[in-house]
Amino acid sequence: MDEQARSVLNRVIRRIPNKNIKNLLSKWNCLSADQLQALDYTKPKRMIVEHIIDCCESSNLNLKHITNLEMIYHLDNPDQGTWYACQLTDAQDDAVCVELTQFKEQFKAHLHGVIRHISIKMKKHEDDAIWIRIAWGDNFSKPNHLKPTYVVHHLHTSYVFISNLMAKHKIFLCQALVVATRHGSIKDGHLSTRSLTAMRDLLLRRYQQVFPSAQSKIQQERDSPPLHPCIGKEHSDYEEMRHQMACEAFGHGPTPKLETAVYKLETRYRGNGNLTVSDREEFFRGVVRFSSSSLLESLRNCVASGMAEGPVTPLLSAITRRGRNSFVITDKGPGVSSQASAPRA
Amino acid sequence: MALLSPYSKVPELNTATVLLVENEEELQNKLANAIVQHEKDFNVNVRLAKKLPLPVENKEARPRIDLIVFIVSLLSERSLQSAESSLSHLHSDCFLGKVCFLVTDARCGSHTQERLVSVRKLAASHHCPVICAEHRTADGVSAAALRLLNILQVSAGMTPMSTTALYLSTLTRCSLTSDLQEDYLQ
Repeated sequence: MDEQARSVLNRVIRRIPNKNIKNLLSKWNCLSADQLQALDYTKPKRMIVEHIIDCCESSNLNLKHITNLEMIYHLDNPDQGTWYACQLTDAQDDAVCVELTQFKEQFKAHLHGVIRHISIKMKKHEDDAIWIRIAWGDNFSKPNHLKPTYVVHHLHTSYVFISNLMAKHKIFLCQALVVATRHGSIKDGHLSTRSLTAMRDLLLRRYQQVFPSAQSKIQQERDSPPLHPCIGKEHSDYEEMRHQMACEAFGHGPTPKLETAVYKLETRYRGNGNLTVSDREEFFRGVVRFSSSSLLESLRNCVASGMAEGPVTPLLSAITRRGRNSFVITDKGPGVSSQASAPRA
Repeated sequence: MALLSPYSKVPELNTATVLLVENEEELQNKLANAIVQHEKDFNVNVRLAKKLPLPVENKEARPRIDLIVFIVSLLSERSLQSAESSLSHLHSDCFLGKVCFLVTDARCGSHTQERLVSVRKLAASHHCPVICAEHRTADGVSAAALRLLNILQVSAGMTPMSTTALYLSTLTRCSLTSDLQEDYLQ
């Protein structure tokens, strides 16, 4: 085991709680049952790591096995680091028939072709996601396994999730993805979050959506018991309508756990009064940032409880509708940006 | 615009009705449950509303309202604004002892003191009492419910011999302290 393998192993073990180490090692399946038995998980992390390194050396395990361990750890803990979404566009005719093996070969071949020292590892997860771990090097240096890039792609969808990618490697990765998935180009998805699960659920629409229709009003499952006969609600229709509106915008049931949404304003100050501000040629810049442990849930509750007045502004509903959480609002822009008013919630 | 008037309907026998108006609808439900579950020797109907004016469709079904309570959460400015705008939909007869303010969340948040002063000014200018309540604990809610029931009993005329709504309100209405009075007059 070389120095790099030791550091990678050390980093993986350091991140997980002692009680989960055994589970991870048995999933890894590289140490024998006796070796696993011999480990004492109550000892300090440093001693456990030393013990594992000894085991690895006696079993002749190398860097390849250790990176495999790191991948298993990341597969089990997807909600770490910051993930960015990219969207593949202009699908070619044969994009729907890309197979896993074909994707693998083309992706690897492309990257190996442009960068001499690179280490690529791929794994297929249970939910059909392809996990790719790339350790980048360049023409003169070996791949750096301490700063690997993780890429997650679900075949036949147009989204790719990327974590820990350096700007100088972005172009290589994007080209390889475009070639391997048979798409025309790739663009920034304007969505970034700490939770890969939330991002996947939001973009692949794996949450309960509500569509506007006159017939199917969703049943409100209320936590509170039915109303006492002496209590009458004056605005009950309005309350139902608000609830429906909130669910149409942000989904029903558990929502993806997004944490932030950022709106950058690049608008001119309008309105009479302060001439020094409104006369200026340049933009009146500002950033509005919403953050919460579960942003969509908070927004839905804001609308449903009547704290924010409906209808939901397209600026907020665009988070789910377009799957983005970073917006630039300009005076005369296309799409979402056409409405220049600040969100009301 | 139809104003809400306290004397436009005939009261029901041994029944009092309280209208709780709250923009956030947070305390409203808890308070309503506490009020109806409390033991008392007359029937209480609770009507919940988000703001005034009340919808016209319910006009026939709605009983005579004996007490109107504006619940103001000091955490939000909208709560105060909504109560303020609702006041203009009340008939002036209501202000003879049939309106009161209930403020909550006075302890948390950063602008609560300023808002509390605004609520007091609002209440003083309409000759209404202000009640402070705590809604995060069950005890706080039941204490608030009990105070409202006591006021309701008077304003619905359930205690004809001892006191009247107008008399109670002159005793309990919010008055401004002298320093607040000064800015109020300016």
